[in-house]
Amino acid sequence: MGNISIKLCGKDLRNPVLNASGTLGYGVEIEPLWGVETLGAYVTKGLSIKPHHGNLPPRVWEERHGMINSIGLQNVGVDRFFDVYFPFFKKKRTPIIVNFFGFTEDEYIACAGKIKPDRLIVALEMNLSCPNIKAGGISFGKEPRMVFDIVKKVKAVTKIPLFAKLTPEVKDIVDIATAACEAGADGLTLINTMPAAGFDVKKRHIPFKGGLSGPVLKPIALRAVHECAKAVPVPIVGVGGIMDAMDAVSFFMAGARAIQVGTATFIDPYAIPKIIKGVSDYLDANGHKTIDDIVGIANNV
Amino acid sequence: MGVVRPGQFVMMKIPGGEVFLRRPFSIYEYQQRVLTIMYKVVGKGTEQLSNAPKGTSVLTLGPLGRWFTVNRSAAPVVVAGGIGLAGMYALIKKLQDKAPIFFGCSSKDEIALLKDAMRFHPFIATLDGSYGFKGNVVQLFNKHLKGLNGKNVEIFTCGPENMVKNLKKLIEPHRISCQVLLEERMACGLGLCFGCAIKTTDAQEPYKRACKEGPVFDLWEISL
Repeated sequence: MGNISIKLCGKDLRNPVLNASGTLGYGVEIEPLWGVETLGAYVTKGLSIKPHHGNLPPRVWEERHGMINSIGLQNVGVDRFFDVYFPFFKKKRTPIIVNFFGFTEDEYIACAGKIKPDRLIVALEMNLSCPNIKAGGISFGKEPRMVFDIVKKVKAVTKIPLFAKLTPEVKDIVDIATAACEAGADGLTLINTMPAAGFDVKKRHIPFKGGLSGPVLKPIALRAVHECAKAVPVPIVGVGGIMDAMDAVSFFMAGARAIQVGTATFIDPYAIPKIIKGVSDYLDANGHKTIDDIVGIANNV
Repeated sequence: MGVVRPGQFVMMKIPGGEVFLRRPFSIYEYQQRVLTIMYKVVGKGTEQLSNAPKGTSVLTLGPLGRWFTVNRSAAPVVVAGGIGLAGMYALIKKLQDKAPIFFGCSSKDEIALLKDAMRFHPFIATLDGSYGFKGNVVQLFNKHLKGLNGKNVEIFTCGPENMVKNLKKLIEPHRISCQVLLEERMACGLGLCFGCAIKTTDAQEPYKRACKEGPVFDLWEISL
């Protein structure tokens, strides 16, 4: 197997394949099948300053080429994550990226400020798809100005590299990406789920709303990665509908330095190890020595 | 497959490729490397599975989830409603004749669900009275409740939500312990996504995962 290690935020990762936040539990649950040390880095479930109960069931809805989830960011809180789960990653020497969120600026700032730098923490990943309660519930990630403000404030309280994870439901994602970078973001994760609804024709109503994920999202994510990679200088982590190694390769070619796998793990719990092997095989078969050889090599339309 | 315990389930990839997520199914029986599931066609997944030709391979992940734990010092009782029997049969078989079994369904058409369990002489209720006791399974169980008085009884149950609610109401004053097998829509089946939330009485963390902390729960820890 060829060398597919990468450097991200100055840290060495054994490979460029991560899990998408919230799709690999707290990392311990996959242990019976394969260990988190298989990953380039483990991305935590979204953490908040206080524990969060999440939404009433039902929380998942199936579509033909994807799913809609409405988990509601259930999590044990940032303190308990570091007390209970972080030692597991320490023991396994597995790097982590800490995904976090808030419903006010203060919550984001408090959460980020609580996380102490550690050899194993590659970056913080801030989920900007949350509703800003003080701004009438509009998501933080919708307006370049709001993104700039919150990223700048969070940057001021942490020494850990900061990734902004962007929602695709915006006028122009390049404007948002640019605002995040101008505020000091060290990287971007593109993209989060897309707001969507499930429909029940028999009952003539919409019984479900949430975030759409799965293969249906891939072309949207690829476009966002490609356009932002041309516009901003920071590393981009690509995510959205990656089901196999060729999907992953297409994200690298579009400009992503690393990728995340989410919904694919639900369809096949071995999707991540298979993608890691498939990416390595692809490099070998095509005479590439490193991932960097293919990052951003896609020609423009 | 490793050791399979009563109440556990498997996640199956529905053949044909048109169903996106895997589907959870209770393990009906597992012996001599043969896994049996029993299911009712209720939607796209079960319909497509039922149409798969004989001999079709089905990707199956399991056994998964927390199982029924039989307490030796208690007298077991099984209460099952309709297709809920699918998750109870492995336990019924394990308990052999030690547990009285109460089974309820709509009409005699569904008595076929008992094809294997019949040899353990279940008490049967049908809503329309076309077979056995006329009424629901909780009413039928109520008739036998007095006879269990003074015994250290433990109930094992699975069935429609209304049945479980009625059962809970009935046994609440008697403080009978009860393990319930619950179902909820699932995506991963492995505890990764937190999609299959069950509301419990735990104030700190009310939502538990049906696939991980369940599907078997202590009835008295569930918010119904």
